[in-house]
Amino acid sequence: MAKSGIRIERLAKRFGSGDTAVLALKDANMQVAPGEVVGLIGPSGSGKSTLLKCLGAVIDPTAGRMILDDTVIYDDGWKVRDLRALRRDRIGFVFQAPYLIPFLDATDNVALLPMLAGVANDAARERARELLTALDVAHRAQAMPAQLSGGEQQRVAIARGLVNRPPVILADEPTAPLDSARAMAVIRILNDMARRFETAIIVVTHDEKIIPTFRRIYHIRDGVTQEEAGEGRGFES
Amino acid sequence: MRLARLKPRTLGVISVVAVLLVLFVYVALRAGPLAPIAITVTSVESRSIAPALAGIGSVQARYTYKIGPTAAGRVKRLDVHVGDGVVAGQVLGEMDAVDLDERLRAQQAAIDSADAAVRQADARQAYARSQARRYEELLAVRFISEEVVANKRQELAVADAALAAARSDTSRLRAELEALRAQRGNLRLVSPVAGLVVARDADPGTTVVAGQAVVQVIDPANLWIDTRFDQISAQGLAAGLPAQIALRSRQGEALPGRVQRIEPRADAVTEETLAKVTFAALPQPLPPLGELAEITVRLPPLPAAPTVPNAAIFTVGGQRGVWKLVDGKVAFAPVALGRFDLDGRVQVHRGVAPGERVVLYSERSLTAQSRIQVVERIPGVTP
Amino acid sequence: MISLAGRDILHAWGKFVFTGVGLGLLIGVTLTMAGVYRGMVDDGKALLDNSGADLWVVQQGTLGPYAESSSVFDDLWRDIRTMPGVAQAANVTYLTMQVGTGDADVRAMVVGIAAGGSGEPGWPPYLVAGRHITRGHYEAVVDISAGVRLGDVLRIRRNHYTVVGLTRRMVSSSGDPMVFIPLKDAQEAQFLKDNDAILMQRRRTEGNPEFNRPGVPGLVDAVIASQTSNSYVNAILVRLQPGFAAQDVAVPLRRWKRLTVYDRAEMEGILLGKLIATSARQIAMFLVILAVVSAAIVAFIIYTLTMDKIREIAVLKLIGTRNRTIAAMILQQALVLGVLGFVVGKIAATFAAPLFPKYVLLVPIDSVLSFAAVLAICVVSSLVAIRVALKVDPAQAIS
Repeated sequence: MAKSGIRIERLAKRFGSGDTAVLALKDANMQVAPGEVVGLIGPSGSGKSTLLKCLGAVIDPTAGRMILDDTVIYDDGWKVRDLRALRRDRIGFVFQAPYLIPFLDATDNVALLPMLAGVANDAARERARELLTALDVAHRAQAMPAQLSGGEQQRVAIARGLVNRPPVILADEPTAPLDSARAMAVIRILNDMARRFETAIIVVTHDEKIIPTFRRIYHIRDGVTQEEAGEGRGFES
Repeated sequence: MRLARLKPRTLGVISVVAVLLVLFVYVALRAGPLAPIAITVTSVESRSIAPALAGIGSVQARYTYKIGPTAAGRVKRLDVHVGDGVVAGQVLGEMDAVDLDERLRAQQAAIDSADAAVRQADARQAYARSQARRYEELLAVRFISEEVVANKRQELAVADAALAAARSDTSRLRAELEALRAQRGNLRLVSPVAGLVVARDADPGTTVVAGQAVVQVIDPANLWIDTRFDQISAQGLAAGLPAQIALRSRQGEALPGRVQRIEPRADAVTEETLAKVTFAALPQPLPPLGELAEITVRLPPLPAAPTVPNAAIFTVGGQRGVWKLVDGKVAFAPVALGRFDLDGRVQVHRGVAPGERVVLYSERSLTAQSRIQVVERIPGVTP
Repeated sequence: MISLAGRDILHAWGKFVFTGVGLGLLIGVTLTMAGVYRGMVDDGKALLDNSGADLWVVQQGTLGPYAESSSVFDDLWRDIRTMPGVAQAANVTYLTMQVGTGDADVRAMVVGIAAGGSGEPGWPPYLVAGRHITRGHYEAVVDISAGVRLGDVLRIRRNHYTVVGLTRRMVSSSGDPMVFIPLKDAQEAQFLKDNDAILMQRRRTEGNPEFNRPGVPGLVDAVIASQTSNSYVNAILVRLQPGFAAQDVAVPLRRWKRLTVYDRAEMEGILLGKLIATSARQIAMFLVILAVVSAAIVAFIIYTLTMDKIREIAVLKLIGTRNRTIAAMILQQALVLGVLGFVVGKIAATFAAPLFPKYVLLVPIDSVLSFAAVLAICVVSSLVAIRVALKVDPAQAIS
């Protein structure tokens, strides 16, 4: 199955209606290929968050198209019935704070997604362990989130985002709370994983430290995206 | 390290759950209506018991002398007070004579006057007799007529009659004087026996009717207890049986006594048999009359028979019986009861054999299906 | 799939257990309250059971002897004994009064029982210590709740009684311990107040010129003697011969003896319907209030527990957890909390019951019902929390 990443065309989102309507997103266009890590940058109120939520299928856009892995998922209306399953199986999330489930240990935090999709507990845990090994936190597999350091938590969170092998991962300010060394480490991991799992990764950030690492950057201003080349050349393995 | 981190929590949860579960099971099975009934058990003994009868009574005097005037009158003086000892014949007091002395004097004067009348009649009779004799002689010489002599004879007869009347009158007056004197003597209140004054019902100046007691005297040597025995537990009561007397004022001290007699009439309303119990030796100081006394009459010991405490007797379906303990379960056995003693032991004629174990105390009413738990003492009972 | 509820409980078990214990104590209070009601009913039934009677013969037109005062002549039992169908008939008196024990006194129901030994109607059917009364006077068998021991001396009116036996659960319908004494003593106790009262009575009689006539010595003594005797009892307890229906015997008694007769069912109706009806309603009100309070507290606890997890729920929803799974998690937690609370409550109530001054009876059916009620309350109150959880916007997880 050939992967084609994610593409959005003329995506728009209007909140409210009539005179009080606010057009948070006017014309968003993006194309991210599998294995690619792009940045999404914009000041507060630029529609950055709205775009992320639309991408994450958490809010409904009002117009435009979204194509995920050659499947049209939105074309002036959702084309998939189960958005929950879509989020679970085909979109990975990595948040600013790790937002791990505090009452599950690292393995189960990761294994929860395949479990929710109906994978047997043992198989799900096996997949989780693989990922934790890949992310170098296998030694903390049975620790509770509260016992993990910030970096470890973020790695577990990335593992959770990856576990169902989604074609796209949305990372929302994944490095905000980290110092530059750790932030760089996270970006490195994201790049590694994107390549390894052929996943398109969109990193929403305004972290000056990491902006230079992107090859391509989408700027968003007043609900309009604008693509420009970044300075970075990514991280070669 | 991971295990070490996990273990205390898991152990904690498991132990809390386990403790709760154990407590819950205990609570469900050991408390409330599902709990087994605690019982205590006793063995049937073959032994002799000495039945005893318990009665209640009050100290009474066997003889009470109520001394008062025989005629209505006023009390003049009383020489004795309550508690005084008196001897037989002692004057205890006197009723007011009022006009009795004057009437005695008048009577005496009347007797004197009657004596004078007798003398007068005597003189008249002597004169009539001499007159009659003289006229008889004159008639013999035919000096006077027959008619005159008859006249004199009649006068003599009248004088004889007058003398007899005067004499009778004198004896009547004398008898009346004696009567007045007797009354005068009866104004004194005299004790017929040696005894103890227990009541002084009227004080000097009080007017009393005939027969009303002014002073009551008892014979302190003859005190007894007017005792009542419940008819249901009066079996075997007989005169002559030894008895123990416990006076209310002398608790814990048992005085020996004897059943003097059983009253032929029982009290039909209170369903009690009445008996008199005498002291073997009178206690000193004497108990006050009317003091409450508890009487225990011990009957001769009965031959040995299976005996159980009366608390082991239960009633099921109107039948008296015992709960036998057989193989950890209880089974009801009707019994025929015999005599019992005051310590609560009862002889059983039929239904149990010596050595059998029967339920003595139980926490609740038993049924044949009851789950039971034999304990040393029923919970909540302090030794 | 792993149990999210179970993992959450395991994670915060300390908090959970404490919450459960708190809730359990509340449920324990509710159970105890139900037990108090059952205890009252049982007190009433114990009174009837312990009398051992099938019929109660009382003064015409009264609800006696428990709910109202009643007096019948004490030789009437002989007439009743001869009625067909009557196996046993025994006089009995009931008088609730203060009974002196040492320095203190307790409120007790003094029962005068006819002589005849255990098994006569009115006698305590079982003992826990000592023996039955054997003497005709001045012995007593006392319920253990009066706090007396064997050999203690009780003061009833002007007489002293030795405690020879102890029994248990022999209480009046208001839970006062019973004191069994011989009938004749009880008749006297019912009539003779105390020495002062007797003296006053005597003085009054002596002061009445009608009774103290100068020409009739001894009249006043006779009057006083007749005043100080009491030939009444409160009721006659009747035990039927096997094979006779209660009403078959009661009807002729009512008709020909001009007395009021109650059978067991009627007596229960009087005790439960008239004597403790208001108290029972009072307790029922308390039960309703406690149930409402418990429900509110369960709802509040579940709601708080859910609100604490709102962020996690948003994340769970964002990563695609079904509503059903989230609702099940909350519901399971509510149910576990309910079960924990019930278990703790049942244990607490059982251990607390003997400490109450009046009888608290915990009936298994009450436990079963309250368990069902607790679960129902938990389900209903978790609905609020579930509603909130389902309304959580998964977008909340994204800044």
